[in-house]
Amino acid sequence: MSEPKMVQPPARFPTRPAAGTMTRGDFLWMGWSALAAFFAAGAAAGARYIFPNVIYEPSQIFNAGPAKDYDMGVSMKWLNTHRIWIIRIPTGIYAMWARCTHLGCTPNWFPDQDRFKCPCHGSNYTLAGDVIAGPAPIPLWRAKITLASTGDLIVDKGVLADQPPKRSQAPFFLTNSELGLS
Amino acid sequence: MPTLDIDKIKQEVVDSQIWRAVFRGGVWSDTPRDRQAHISGNVWLHLHPAKVRPRALKWTYTWGLGGLSFALFLLLALSGVLLMFYYRPVPGLAFRDIKDLTYAVSMGRFLRNLHRWAAQAMVVAVIAHMVRVFLTGAYKRPREFNWSVGVLLLTLTLFLSFTGYLLPWDQLAFWAVTVGTNMAGATPLLGNSGPFSGLLGMHVNNDLRFVMLGGTSVGANTLLRFYVLHTIAVPLLVGILLILHFWRVRKDSFSAAPYQANEAKVDVWPNLVKREYIAAVALVIFIMFWAITKSAPLETIADPNVTMNPEKAPWYFAGLQEMLVYFDPWLAGVLVPNLIIVGLMAVPFIDTNPKGVGYYAWKERPFAITMFLLGVVMWFSLMAMGVFFRGPNYAWYWPWESWWTFKAAPPPTWNVFGPHGQAVLPLALGVPVLGGLFLAAMLLPKLIQRDLNGWKVLGGVLLATAALGAVGAGMGKFTGTQVGFLLFFAGMTTWFGFVMPQRHIRRLDWARYLVTMALVVSTMGILLKMGARLCFNIKYVMTVPVVSMNI
Repeated sequence: MSEPKMVQPPARFPTRPAAGTMTRGDFLWMGWSALAAFFAAGAAAGARYIFPNVIYEPSQIFNAGPAKDYDMGVSMKWLNTHRIWIIRIPTGIYAMWARCTHLGCTPNWFPDQDRFKCPCHGSNYTLAGDVIAGPAPIPLWRAKITLASTGDLIVDKGVLADQPPKRSQAPFFLTNSELGLS
Repeated sequence: MPTLDIDKIKQEVVDSQIWRAVFRGGVWSDTPRDRQAHISGNVWLHLHPAKVRPRALKWTYTWGLGGLSFALFLLLALSGVLLMFYYRPVPGLAFRDIKDLTYAVSMGRFLRNLHRWAAQAMVVAVIAHMVRVFLTGAYKRPREFNWSVGVLLLTLTLFLSFTGYLLPWDQLAFWAVTVGTNMAGATPLLGNSGPFSGLLGMHVNNDLRFVMLGGTSVGANTLLRFYVLHTIAVPLLVGILLILHFWRVRKDSFSAAPYQANEAKVDVWPNLVKREYIAAVALVIFIMFWAITKSAPLETIADPNVTMNPEKAPWYFAGLQEMLVYFDPWLAGVLVPNLIIVGLMAVPFIDTNPKGVGYYAWKERPFAITMFLLGVVMWFSLMAMGVFFRGPNYAWYWPWESWWTFKAAPPPTWNVFGPHGQAVLPLALGVPVLGGLFLAAMLLPKLIQRDLNGWKVLGGVLLATAALGAVGAGMGKFTGTQVGFLLFFAGMTTWFGFVMPQRHIRRLDWARYLVTMALVVSTMGILLKMGARLCFNIKYVMTVPVVSMNI
């Protein structure tokens, strides 16, 4: 009986693939990555889809008529159509956007208390638009006003200011001399 | 003359190929095998197990609330589909269609009332179901995940109510959704008015609010979006989650009620199915009676320029509206609701108490039940404040006061850290002080590792507060009401924010302890801030206007 001979098994797989060869693992990685990339791109495309590119909303610019038509105080003339108060004080005129800076309701003007009060969460503002009570974080916005060649006030709600000194000068506040008022 | 042999006809019908093709099984002889086959061979009934433990049938255990919620969901799906036949989601038409449904369409008013009242009943039923499951500890292992699915379903129930709210296009609808979507605009980072939103370049035409509205203000796109969400997207998601919810309930042996020795199971058909159907029929009759006797409200047509005074949310969002009075929108409208949802989902994972599964166990789970009920009571108190105690200009009116009563303008508010426009002071002073207080509140209950006498702690705090109040009142700084408020809030926060956690959860591991305390301290923070506003006119504890960050 001869001693059993150690037989080396044939190397079925090379321990290291030749350079440039794709292994099964590489292939699976590639496949799953491609699938993940496909779903990620799909999700991104879906997210982009729900952001509209064109929206049909009313113009933010309107003609508020001649400045001399406004008496001292808060004018409600454009509230129901353009959500703007035209406010005339002894030194000039500004247009305030009737939108509470808290969560967007329309405040009401109470001349006896000299306050704007919001019906939704109780924010209170002064005539100048500053918050004096309630949860609103910033003052009411003033809209840009320009004087047309006809003498009419052109109000643009797309350009806004809420803090002094910006809100206290043109185009957010027009003085009597700028308006040609005595 | 041939006689009519009913039994013979019945036999022939039942044995016909058509009947047998539709309904399988042989002749019904009401054997246990028949009953089980009836459950497992029926696609509608097979969400039940064939047999169930008698304890799961006790109506004083479940109150049938999960089943009733599902019955209401089905009733809402049916009435909703019928309403869709007469409704067009376009601003010029939507309000007219609702008017037509109310005054011109046969059964239209009844269906709309039914839909509205069933929706409100579903909110009640789902909340009550959650409270029941909490009180019976039925969220504990292995049912943690199903509790989380349930919390999502509650959230979606409220979201369905919110999206449905816009569809009539009346004043209430328009302004509720204006406020709701502006809250989304206050989301940190993702909303145009939220804290740190500048970092991502958020504007009114590219933020989260813009996606919800499909524009920069509530308009035609918004109505269409909410319509699609309300009638298709969300109900589909709810349906999928319901299947998951029910399947898990069935897999988890249908009831968490503890096993008893030699417990014999009973057949689901007819014992459970009978109860479910009786409850559902009673509920439908109740809702129909309600819909016949009381009409759903409808205000005047939406006016995007003028808000009603006062503008009140539906009762289930009145708590949220009331909270918005005391906190910035990013806190009250975004952070707190999300914290409530995530906190509820985390409950099964932070509550390690193995006792009280499957029965009402007040004494065995004092901390969990007290804290949960405190949250529920606070939420409903806020609702009550919003519904009954608020009048024109959202001022405080007692329920017995006429809304024509003259109310003085509210006094000016002030900020503790950070006068307007100066960002350095709040950061240099406010962050260390507030951070220190927050850390102390978070850590103290665990760091004091011995049994304190809670009553003595509470008494000490109340005495100190009373002394402070007496001194302040003597100097003319405080009124009696303010001292009373101080005592109330000091007592509440000491007991629920310190004594209870110190007594019950100081031995929890750090991870669970910190998550639990984060929820407890947030709850106490809400109480404290409300007190600070109501009696000391404090607007913000800290404000950093540069990044729109107000606390």
